[in-house]
Amino acid sequence: MASETTIATDTTRSSSLAGLILRIRSKALIALVLLAALAFPIINGNAGDIDAMANALAFAGLALGLNVVVGFAGLLDLGYAAFFAIGAYTYGVLASWQLTPPWSSFWAPFAWLDLVQKVTQGNATVVHFTLSFWLALPLSALVAAFFGVLFGAPTLRLKGDYLAIVTLGFGEIVPIVARNWSSLTNGAAGLNGVAAPQVFGFNFGVQIVPYYYVAVGIVAFLMFISTRLRDSRIGRAWMALRDDPVAAAAVGVDLTRYKLLAFATGAAFAGMIGTFYIAKLQTATPDMFMFPVSVMVLVMIVLGGLGSVWGVVVGAMFLQLLQSWFLPEISTWLHVLGRLVGSPWLQQIQLAESIELIFGIILVFMMLYRRGGLIPAMGKQTALTFEQQNAQVGESGGFRMSGIAREDSSAAPALEIKGVTVRFGGLVALRSVDVSVPAGGVVAVIGPNGSGKSTLFNVITGVNSAESGSIRLFGEEILGKKPHEIACKGIGRTFQNLRLFTNLTVMDNVLVGQHTRLHTGPLGAILRFPRMRAEEAKARHRVIEIISNFGNRLLPRAGQTVSALSYANRRRVEISRALATSPRILLLDEPTAGMNPAETIELAEQIKDLHRLGLTIMVIEHKLDVVVRLADKVVVLDHGEKIAEGRPDEVRQNEEVLRAYLGRNAQAGSAGIAA
Amino acid sequence: MSPTTVFLQQVINGLSLGGMYALLALGFTLIYGILELINFAHFSVFLWGSFIGMWTLEALGLNGQNVILTGLPLIGVLLAAFLASMVFCGVLGVVIERFSLRPLRNVTGPMAMITTIGVSYILFNIILLGAGADTKNFPNPLPEIQFHIDGAVLDLRIVLIWIISAVLMVGLWLFVQRSRMGKAMRATAQDADAARMMGVEVDRVILIAFFAGSALAGAAGLIFGLYYNFTSYIIGYTAGLRAFTAAVLGGIGNVPGAMVGGLLIGLIESLGGQYIAVKWTDVIIFSILVLVLVFRPTGLLGTLAPSKS
Repeated sequence: MASETTIATDTTRSSSLAGLILRIRSKALIALVLLAALAFPIINGNAGDIDAMANALAFAGLALGLNVVVGFAGLLDLGYAAFFAIGAYTYGVLASWQLTPPWSSFWAPFAWLDLVQKVTQGNATVVHFTLSFWLALPLSALVAAFFGVLFGAPTLRLKGDYLAIVTLGFGEIVPIVARNWSSLTNGAAGLNGVAAPQVFGFNFGVQIVPYYYVAVGIVAFLMFISTRLRDSRIGRAWMALRDDPVAAAAVGVDLTRYKLLAFATGAAFAGMIGTFYIAKLQTATPDMFMFPVSVMVLVMIVLGGLGSVWGVVVGAMFLQLLQSWFLPEISTWLHVLGRLVGSPWLQQIQLAESIELIFGIILVFMMLYRRGGLIPAMGKQTALTFEQQNAQVGESGGFRMSGIAREDSSAAPALEIKGVTVRFGGLVALRSVDVSVPAGGVVAVIGPNGSGKSTLFNVITGVNSAESGSIRLFGEEILGKKPHEIACKGIGRTFQNLRLFTNLTVMDNVLVGQHTRLHTGPLGAILRFPRMRAEEAKARHRVIEIISNFGNRLLPRAGQTVSALSYANRRRVEISRALATSPRILLLDEPTAGMNPAETIELAEQIKDLHRLGLTIMVIEHKLDVVVRLADKVVVLDHGEKIAEGRPDEVRQNEEVLRAYLGRNAQAGSAGIAA
Repeated sequence: MSPTTVFLQQVINGLSLGGMYALLALGFTLIYGILELINFAHFSVFLWGSFIGMWTLEALGLNGQNVILTGLPLIGVLLAAFLASMVFCGVLGVVIERFSLRPLRNVTGPMAMITTIGVSYILFNIILLGAGADTKNFPNPLPEIQFHIDGAVLDLRIVLIWIISAVLMVGLWLFVQRSRMGKAMRATAQDADAARMMGVEVDRVILIAFFAGSALAGAAGLIFGLYYNFTSYIIGYTAGLRAFTAAVLGGIGNVPGAMVGGLLIGLIESLGGQYIAVKWTDVIIFSILVLVLVFRPTGLLGTLAPSKS
């Protein structure tokens, strides 16, 4: 016991020391980059270069937004430029002469708020919209976010590639509407005379430097928000649904809500940038928001690294500057070279024209050879030292975990399944199955392959829907509820074929398990109130508490991505994740599959410990020695029907069970079930 | 023209466009059926088919609409052009699969789809940079023979386009339904692992699907030029997206669905342009795309549903 505590504090201490150094180093780096960004217009006075930088920053902002949708949440959006357009037109229409409705007293309060002006044109008095740029930034973010939800909502049921097509469809529709709805947008000719931003009476006009600083500010702000969201409960939920939506729902992540939140956040970023972009250009045409723009932003985030905040900024700025600065520059040199060697072809070359070819090559190259991008979101994994691998901890004392309420075994059953029938087309996977799981008990479900065991788990957790029947959790009907609601009510589960969030660390996987038990919302994640910090620290402490039970198997690997773990360790992470949901009932689907005999016994003992702590457990298991060791009650399924139920020793003598396992002609006494 | 004549004329036009979209949609459907991959490279394969057809016709001495051929020379020239477009595009499809998609076959997520966008960009930019952005006058050797039905005009070339589209579609249908390779293809689409265990060479099946789908796109590219008398680097995207909508409308992964969807999209384009407004045609088509995906993702005849996630 003592050794366990030591290692726990040891890991925390060493990681906090290393963490401190890392934090200082990254803070210094950020300060340096910010300083360079602020000093740039002073060092390089060329207005063209500053303009190129300001545009590059605008695209960095777009890339940050698309990164939330594609990189964090894994939703491929091919019509992202639509939100850029919506943000742009929101400001453009409300700060130009495009709409001039006749003046009436209705407008008086708006005039008082400085949003409109009363203007006399000839002999008519009309309204002139004069929305301030600074108000337009949050407003267009909100408007774009609204459209993000609107466009996102119908696509939620669709899987990845279909989602991409629907977004592509919306991405096509928005610029066409902008082109055809001339009364609002002035059509293909574009909005004219969009007002430039003002600060205390100083008008930005066409000077480039103030725009540059606004762009630096916006990008820094969006990077800050991206980082804060990524490192919070919100970001973990996004990455969980990206890596495995079924498992994310099973730990209580509301998929609909988090997908929409990702769409809305990404759209809001684009809306803001749209406003900035056309305030700088002082015009907007539909052509600025077509499919090639959506693809360009996609190329930027693929190049920089999907999910990597710094990566996508670097990718975006590099590609923008390549287009507007480096390639024209190189072309000029080539022209000079062409004159020197007398080659007319070299004298006419315009490299910037081939930018889309370069985009295509970048996409293919990165996908084939470097999918993580220039700056991958996942850091390098360092191998464990010999000492870490061989540290012996937690061998004694059994499983310890706080927060498990001892269920009253004399009370109503924890889970009451009655007459549940599940049909897949013509196949009846479960036929009118009844199972009762007593509170605090361990029920094992056995049966040949294809007998409906996993389907039973899936219908309990809401992954499959039932045709008829009833499932009550402590008396409350849960059949027909969504998986995340069922998880929230207290059912934790593992999967037969391991469903981990493969790109996340052990720590993050188990943290996602606590999703429903934490409360940090988007605002809390961004502002990090003291309460949220405390909650996060407590959640991390709980992860350590849970994984410590597996001794040195997981603890030293807490910071590694789970794809680097052995099969048995992945099973342990999955069990830890299920435990982190603070379940009242734990459903384990073949927990010892792929483990050697020693590991199997070790895990069986640990499950027994959980049972002793008072947890109600349902387990699917093929290894009958494990079943005998664990279960109070065994339920046998065959071809979707319950053929026997009882104490392990009773079931072993049951003739029908023997027939199901050994074939029709097997004699009851001849073999018995191998134990 | 009387209202019936106008309607009839637009139906004639719509069926011609529809035949072309159907050929193009078949490529999307064949590849989706087997790999569950939306292949954006198909857009640019179609574009190349159009340009290869044009260059072949020009190489055979045709120039714009000045040279009119009849009889055997006409059949020979058309055969040569279709063969060139289809073989070139078929091989192009095979190369795309082998070198850019096979390495990603077991990578999950949108990676393969993003790669096809990249391939598409490379292919169409080669045309753009090499041949320029201007609209190209497409050689057309067909004599101006017109039939009149109730006042509506039916050009010989439209009849030819119908015949060629029908022959290619029936050919593909027979190939998929009757041939040994077609059976292997359907088996692979249902369950690639099971097919592999039964001795089907899945890699070869995939290559052949790419060849067949891309060859049909090549034919569609040539038909585009013969129908409109022009081609341009931009057609891959505009026609490709409509054909993709056709595949989705019919039920992506479903061969007859692609044909039905193609004809419907062609009719919607011509009738919508006539009775609503040309400038809203794309909005109508993309709205159909969105609505079908949202409310009936299996399409009109579909069998392969996008699974819920």
